[in-house]
Amino acid sequence: MAVDMAMPILVVDDYKTMIRIIRNLLKQLGFDNVDEAADGQEAFQKMQGGSGFGLVISDWNMEPMTGYELLKQVRGDEKLKGTPFIMITAESKTENVIAAKRAGVNNYIVKPFNAATLKAKISSVIGDF
Amino acid sequence: MPANDVAAKIRDALNDIKAADLDDPRLMEVLSLAENLVDSMKTFFGSLDNSVHGEFLHIAKYIARTRDEIAALRPNDIRESRLPTAGAELEAVVNDTENATETIMTIAENIMELQPNNLEDYKAQVDEKMVGMIEACSFQDITGQRVSKVVSTLTHIEERIARFSNVMGVLDAKDDDDDEKDQWRKENLLNGPQIAGPETGQNAIDALFDGDISDDQLGQGAIDDMFD
Repeated sequence: MAVDMAMPILVVDDYKTMIRIIRNLLKQLGFDNVDEAADGQEAFQKMQGGSGFGLVISDWNMEPMTGYELLKQVRGDEKLKGTPFIMITAESKTENVIAAKRAGVNNYIVKPFNAATLKAKISSVIGDF
Repeated sequence: MPANDVAAKIRDALNDIKAADLDDPRLMEVLSLAENLVDSMKTFFGSLDNSVHGEFLHIAKYIARTRDEIAALRPNDIRESRLPTAGAELEAVVNDTENATETIMTIAENIMELQPNNLEDYKAQVDEKMVGMIEACSFQDITGQRVSKVVSTLTHIEERIARFSNVMGVLDAKDDDDDEKDQWRKENLLNGPQIAGPETGQNAIDALFDGDISDDQLGQGAIDDMFD
């Protein structure tokens, strides 16, 4: 099935600069419908608001709710549990990667990353575009 | 009162009693015993005096040495000057990098929005914006110098604390209990970027998500990744 390039994507990070970088990379990849949140709590509220996000790209280290906690909440929510979820972190300790995978993350990107890596990971999660 | 003075006083008192011309031989015997006791006690208290005196001298010297060592740490200089300066330098580094990133990203966004209707005009605009981007990269020199100053302060503190610890033979006390927020951070947040790059490389993570390796193999995969 063709990827809907107009689908809303939620980018979650407590660093405005990182959100801006990902927004620009997504724009280059053809995704313009991007919303943002500064932590898991704000992100989960936005997701529950019914925007129907087709993809969540989230950092791990955020307060008060981490990206890992957001992932678990999303996977535990009947309506949201099928949302594709990519985790992006600066630290990739083995146990963290495994914990995220077991919690149901669809892919995992280590910072710093480039547009090609982001495209490859998004493709692996939602299909080629 | 020193032990010798006490002994002398007691001896005088005993002599006064003897001089009172008492006839009771048992009392004289008691007085004689008391004299012997005073002589013994004089020796005992005399040695005790020297011992306590020696201990107090030792403690006084230790306190003086500790005070000198603390003074050598220059704690007021560290607290009032070096640490605030280092903190201000780090804040400036954060601001400098943030400003540079903002500038570079804005220029990049502007370039992407340029319309290449006229090639010559387009190139001139791109060149002009690229110069702005290059200029913004000068933050690296400034922040490098700021970070060097902070490193120098940390080295200064580290050397003095290490010397103090060695000279005074200090052993580490039990770690202070973390407050609730620190505890939450310890349990929920990652430590941030690792010094020698990510522990598990993107290739090993990809292999895990592609199903090429299992969770149990990820550790070895990461090690292989480092040697590949």
